[in-house]
Amino acid sequence: MKSVLQFIFWLLVAFVALFLAIVLGERGAWYLAWVLGTVMIILIAVAGTVMLDARYEDDPLE
Amino acid sequence: MELYVVLKLIWWALLGVLLIGLAVMVGMDMGVGAALRYLGRNDGERRAAINMIAPHWDGNQVWFILGGGAVFAAWPTIYATAFSGLYVVMLLLLWAMIVRPLGFEYRSKMPSMGWRNLWDWSLFVSGAVPMIVFGAAMGNMLEGVPFHFSWDMVSYYTGSFITLFNPFAILCGLMSLALALYQGATMIMGRGEGVIRERAIRLATVSGPAALVLFTIGGLWVMFMHGYVITSGADPAGPALPLNKTVTREAGAWLANYGAVPVLWIIPGLVYAAIAAGVVAARRGAAIVAWWAGAVAWAATISTVGAAMFPFLMPSSSNPSQSLTVWDASSSAGTLGWMLVFTLIFVPIILVYTSWAFYVMRGKVTPASIENDDHAY
Amino acid sequence: MHSLDTVVDLSRWQFAATVLYHFIFVPLTLGLSMLLATIETVYVITGRAIYRQMTLFWSKLFAINFALGVATGLTMEFQFGTNWSTYSHYVGDIFGAPLAIEGLMAFFLESTMVGLMLFGWGKLSRGKHLLVTYMVALGSNLSALWILIANGYMQSPVGSTFNPATMRMELTSFSNLVFNPDAQAKFVHTSIAGYLTAAMFVLGISAFYMLRKRHIELAKRSFRVAALFGIFASIAVICLGDALGFINGADQPTKLAAMEGLWKTAPAPAGFNLIAWPNQAEQKNEFELQIPYLLTPLVTHSFTESIPGVDALEKQAAQRIRNGIPALVALKTLREHPNDAAALAQFNAHKADLGYARLVQRYAPDVSNATGAQIQKAAADSIPPVAPVFWSFRIMVAAAFLMLGFLILAVNYSLRGTIVDKRWFLKVAPWMIPVPFIANEAGWLVAELGRQPWTVYEQLPTWISASTHSVGYMIFSLTGFVLLYSIFIVIEMYLMVKYIRLGPDDDGHGATESATQPRVSQWSEA
Repeated sequence: MKSVLQFIFWLLVAFVALFLAIVLGERGAWYLAWVLGTVMIILIAVAGTVMLDARYEDDPLE
Repeated sequence: MELYVVLKLIWWALLGVLLIGLAVMVGMDMGVGAALRYLGRNDGERRAAINMIAPHWDGNQVWFILGGGAVFAAWPTIYATAFSGLYVVMLLLLWAMIVRPLGFEYRSKMPSMGWRNLWDWSLFVSGAVPMIVFGAAMGNMLEGVPFHFSWDMVSYYTGSFITLFNPFAILCGLMSLALALYQGATMIMGRGEGVIRERAIRLATVSGPAALVLFTIGGLWVMFMHGYVITSGADPAGPALPLNKTVTREAGAWLANYGAVPVLWIIPGLVYAAIAAGVVAARRGAAIVAWWAGAVAWAATISTVGAAMFPFLMPSSSNPSQSLTVWDASSSAGTLGWMLVFTLIFVPIILVYTSWAFYVMRGKVTPASIENDDHAY
Repeated sequence: MHSLDTVVDLSRWQFAATVLYHFIFVPLTLGLSMLLATIETVYVITGRAIYRQMTLFWSKLFAINFALGVATGLTMEFQFGTNWSTYSHYVGDIFGAPLAIEGLMAFFLESTMVGLMLFGWGKLSRGKHLLVTYMVALGSNLSALWILIANGYMQSPVGSTFNPATMRMELTSFSNLVFNPDAQAKFVHTSIAGYLTAAMFVLGISAFYMLRKRHIELAKRSFRVAALFGIFASIAVICLGDALGFINGADQPTKLAAMEGLWKTAPAPAGFNLIAWPNQAEQKNEFELQIPYLLTPLVTHSFTESIPGVDALEKQAAQRIRNGIPALVALKTLREHPNDAAALAQFNAHKADLGYARLVQRYAPDVSNATGAQIQKAAADSIPPVAPVFWSFRIMVAAAFLMLGFLILAVNYSLRGTIVDKRWFLKVAPWMIPVPFIANEAGWLVAELGRQPWTVYEQLPTWISASTHSVGYMIFSLTGFVLLYSIFIVIEMYLMVKYIRLGPDDDGHGATESATQPRVSQWSEA
């Protein structure tokens, strides 16, 4: 049950993000958005993956 | 001279540069593909030959794609008329070229010899067919192609596709194949060792002179062929509409430019000089000199045709007055200008990183080195 | 006339078949190149061998996919000339430029660098190799940019005008062409859809390994990077989809009406058809499940703007056809008497609707004698086929939200480190791989079917755009493409599945395969 609620919570967060982006981006500067967005996606994915290894290093069992 | 005229002339020259780049760079890989089963007698040797061009064939092939795009942008009427008129031939060319990336990429992905032999033959077809079509298309341009336009510029092609493979066109196709084989052989000479290298030298010393013989026969043929002459209505600065002039056909007219400007005879002379020098260099094993000699031979061959036909690009044999020329088949001045800006910026950049790529991947490739290389095809 | 229609139909089938096929491989190239660069970045930062192995493994699959993308792309570059010669002449002055720039700026970069990426591992330093991988990713996405600028022109022809002296459209503003709102939104939408496709692809395969308890370390890390990469992509792709709908709503009302199955103009705020069964002949929905008031805010971002339905759009089209006819008549006069000032004035007064006059030219070759019935018929043509557009759109949107939900779970499980135990999720994930591909194809159908009956919106009708080939030629070429492409897809899928099953080279984990195959590593490397 807890995880269902959490899923719904994150779904709601995603919808809020969608809504904000839509309101902000009616005829937006999309080329710039693409550059910034791509850089952001890569950085977050890299950081999240590096974190995964960092966690294993802290964990003596691994 | 008006700016528009200058732009048209620049783009005429750039069309030549494109065709030369395409012929040299793509032709080289096609030559290797077409001669693959001669250069390598067993799987290890063939893999070595393929891996000599493996890091570069894709980049080189862009010359072909860029050729399509640049003709579309700068000579849209040629793009529309030539590619639809030569429909069946274009399809053969495309189908052959589509198989090629798969041949390189998939051939060594399976250990079965049947599988590999199949892809070897597909590389042979996809090397030989496009080069023959390339030359045959040039031959057809010299002869003229049967097409006309309606009042609102819808083009109609009235010939059958068999006529596109007439004897003169096939002669041009074979010459193009011979030069491609020469170019491929000089590439393999540079990066191969031992028996592969010796076969490549033999191939270069045969295909070079063969190309010269075909070039000579073709030249004599053109002297007596019906060429095209604009008799009135040509307006170099005028709008790009090929319906306002009159053109007649005359025997030997393709030599008119050479008669008017005798210094042009240097260009066909250069074909002989370059191939002769190239064959001597190949015999001595000087691969780089031989390669560059082949490039010069290609450049001179294509320039010879261009100088003969100027200002024609694609004459119509059925309605000569609607022939496409430098003056009436181009884009608007604005598009030509913008495209020139992009060309001037990006072509130097392309040359820099292409040279860098060749520099990084320099060195000999042998069957043994392929065995130990996890990344080879 | 009959055989002309057949040739145009066959040309359309050929174009759709070859481009939809090409578009199977392209989004994966766009996204996977970027994802590869991301993984390699982690390798360069951490220096851990596992990330090198990951990069190598995914780039092997990338190469199999890339080869077919390049091969089928060759067809596209030339097909405008071979099969759409009237189109090519009519708009080549504008449309050709982005195609050529694509070659100069993007495709050269991508193709030269891809050779170094695949073959340069031993010859380049880590940093330089990473740079090369980024150049591949940049090159492939810039390719998409210029292609979509060209496509944007077909959807919303800006920066150009018809020149009667050359009988074609000519460029008036290069910057309008490049900064076309349609092209901007569509590029970002398509590029990010590629990211999403790649993320789903990597997630599905990684889940497959975890399920089989093979290559666990590689799979867990690949799963993490793809989940994070994908979650943002899925959100962005939905945003951009909305932006594109908003732009289309303003620029292409006929496409919007077809997407929403909107036959009658309804008072604002109009209801949104969640499901419907559109009937084109009777101009109504046989059945509809509507959410009241939702449509207007969804597409106009307001509550009061009215959205024209098919009924109003057809009336408008009939009006524009009538207004365009004098332009076409004057154009013909101008061809015979280039200096006729009256004809030029008439042409300029009506030239905005020249394209509409060409719609009725199909039924009345001499448009000056067009009857009311013929005009009505041409006006009905101005509406795209509603049912396929309506359903493609819904399939695409449903797929997008399905992936968003899936990715939220994927990120959640990955960050908690519980993913390996979620067997049901791992079982579902491989079956999600086709979803983005279906969404991509559906998206193409919405964009291009929704543009009908035009090749260039409101300027050049499709029926007049094709080359004047015989039916026999078209059957020959279509058969050839279908045969060749069918063989290719079988080979490609076979190799892809084989290499996925084989897994990365990590000596030991893939023991089941190496037991049955002699010395795998001798030939398994690409």
